[in-house]
Order: sequence, then structure tokens, then C-alpha cells
Amino acid sequence: MGEAGVIQPELPDFFAILADKFKGNIFIKWLYPWEHVGYSLIIIFLLSLIAYLAGRKAKMIPGGLQNAVEALVAGVDDFVCGLLGPKGRRYTPFIGTLFVYILFMNLSGIIPFMKPSTSSWSTTLALALCVFIYVQYAAIREMGFLGYLDHLAGKPRGVMAFIFVLPLLMFFLHVLAELIRPISLSLRLRSNIWGDDLLLAVLANFGIKGLPLLLLNMLMGILTAVVQTVVFCLLSTIYFTLALTQEEETHETKSPA
Amino acid sequence: MELLKLLNTSEIVAQIVSFLLLFSLLRIFAWKPLLKLLDERRAKIASGFKTIEEARQEMENLKAEYQSRLDGATAEAQAKIKEAVEEGKKLSEELKKSAYRDAQKIIDNARLDIKFELSKAKDELKDKIVELSISAAEIVIQDRLTEKEDRKIVKDFLDKIDTI
Repeated sequence: MGEAGVIQPELPDFFAILADKFKGNIFIKWLYPWEHVGYSLIIIFLLSLIAYLAGRKAKMIPGGLQNAVEALVAGVDDFVCGLLGPKGRRYTPFIGTLFVYILFMNLSGIIPFMKPSTSSWSTTLALALCVFIYVQYAAIREMGFLGYLDHLAGKPRGVMAFIFVLPLLMFFLHVLAELIRPISLSLRLRSNIWGDDLLLAVLANFGIKGLPLLLLNMLMGILTAVVQTVVFCLLSTIYFTLALTQEEETHETKSPA
Repeated sequence: MELLKLLNTSEIVAQIVSFLLLFSLLRIFAWKPLLKLLDERRAKIASGFKTIEEARQEMENLKAEYQSRLDGATAEAQAKIKEAVEEGKKLSEELKKSAYRDAQKIIDNARLDIKFELSKAKDELKDKIVELSISAAEIVIQDRLTEKEDRKIVKDFLDKIDTI
């Protein structure tokens, strides 16, 4: 998946090592382009296992793993419901899954022989497309198809000549904004994580001399991973908010939450 | 367009599928049961607090009721004591009066008795005097009159004395 035309240092990861060792092997040759999917699947397996263990015998009085997972669940629920109101509960699982998935993928860049899947634009675009489609679906379910088109046409209208012109303009602007969102969302995440990964690889190439810088940047990498995860989820939630609540505000003349 | 070379359609599809897989798995394993559990626990804690609050309220009510009852009982007891004291005073007053009356009666009776005794003694004395006078007269006169006449004479004499 290299950047076109440029040779870039890469940290050794499991799939790359395999590809290096078995150069002629046809299976490995087939497998190597799927490395990001492979790392994602490892994360998925891990997360599912944790979720299964935590939720298997969920008790009224929690302990150990259930406590930790519950804290996360409650935190995400508070976060989503804080932005979306009581009906945000419906979207908590989606946002929460995004959160843990992206967080674990980002953090896996720190682990030796792992590569963050989020450093591939394909991965982040896939997630952003999921958000995009779910947001459109939620908005249409909330207001109906025509109501959604009406919502996209924007609110200030009705003044003589602007009856058709302004709403039409607003409509195209809104559609454009909706379409740009997944691209900006995915590129932001991918570029941050990819840059971080690349920086670690460059510093690792310095050998022993680069060690203090490498350690420092690993800590920074953790910070970046968390911040980028939060940014991705926050923006996703805001997209839900924008798609779902604008109608309400104008009707009930409420100030935005 | 350079950027688009980063994209790989099959990888995007695979990542979407794997994300949906993870989403459904986590939904089943974690989100649904845990969110439900959190809500249940929240409701339980809230109801627990409510119960505690209710119990406290009830306790306070009971306390107030007991206090008022206690106050009432104290007041009643005090009133009763006062009443009893008054009654006692009245009773002692009455007793005093009746004792005084009785004493007066006794004194009066004694006076009557004394008077009666006195008159009786007087009568006896009179008889004795009559007898003595008669015997003295007999001795003096040596001649005995009939007793009946004697008695008459002395009686007359005594009557005279009485009238004096």
C-alpha cells in the first residue's frame, strides 16, 4: 500500500515479515494486500472476546471486567445522550463501537509487529461511509424522505424571489457538505495515524540514538490515538445531531444544545 | 487524483463488512445487555433512595405524632394532678368543718349531760336533805309524826328554798 512513487520507512509488522520471508508463496502473496483487514480482524476478535466475557454473566453488582466495560458503556452513553438528548440512546451502540474499534486500531500502532489499520485510507473511509449511510438513514427515518429533502433545503426561505432560488442553493450546498463529510472525516483520521506511524518508523531507523525521541513520540502517539478517536466519534455524533435536531430547533424555537 | 490511488475498493468493502460484523457482535454481547443493566441499576438505585426517603418521612411523621401525643399526655396528667390537689383541699376543708361540727355536737351533748346530772344530783340531794331533816326533826321532836305529814312539811320548806 505504499505512497505512490516514494519509498518510505515502515515499522516491521507481522504481515510484512511474512511477505518478506515467503516471497514466492502464492498464499502470502494473496494475503499481503489484505494486511489492514487482517489487523482489523484481530482487533475485532479481541473486542468481541472482551465484550463476550464482560456481558456473558452481566450481574446487578458488577466486578472486574464488567466494571471496566460498564464504565466505558456508561461514558459513551452519557456522551452521546448529552449531545443528542434522550433519543441518542438508539445511537449509543454505533458510536460506542466506533469508539472502541478506532481506539484499539489506533493504539495497535504502538504494539510491535502490529500496524494500525487506520493508517489506511480505505479503512477509515469504510468507517466514515458507515457513519454517512447511518446518518442519512437515521435522518430519513426521523423525518421521512420528503422531510429530509425539506431539511436539506434549509430554513430561511419564503421571501418573494428567494422562494426557489435560495432553498435550491442551500440544498446543493447541504448535499455537498454531506458528501464531503465522510472524506474529511476519514482523511483526518487516516493522515494523523499514518503520520504518527511514519514518524515512529523514521525514529526507529535512527537506532539507539533515536531511542529517547522514539519513546517520547510513542507517548505522543498514544495521545494522538486517543484524541483522534475522540474527534472521529465527536464529529460522527455531531453529524447525527445536525441531521436529527435542526428540524426541532426551528419548530420549537429552542436554542441549540 | 493522486490521493485516490490510496483507495482500494475491495479493502473498503471488506472493512465495511468487518465493521458491521463487529458492530453486530458488540451489540449482542455488550451494548444491549449492559445498557439495559445500567438502566435497571439506575432505576433500582433511584427506587432505593426513594424508599429511604419515604421511610425517613414516615419516621418523622411518627416522631411528630408521638411528640404531640406525649405533650398531650403530660398536659392531661398535670391537669389531673391539679384537679386531685384541689379535690384534696376541698375534702380536707369539708373534713375540718365536719369535725368541728361533731366536736360542737359532742360539747353540746356533754353540757346537756352535765345539766341532767346536775339536776339529778340536786334531786337526790333534796331527798337526802328531806330524810336528814326528818330524822333530825324526829330526834328533836321525839314524837313522831306521820311520815306523810313530815314529808309534806319538808317539801314545803324545800319548795320555799327553791323559790328563794
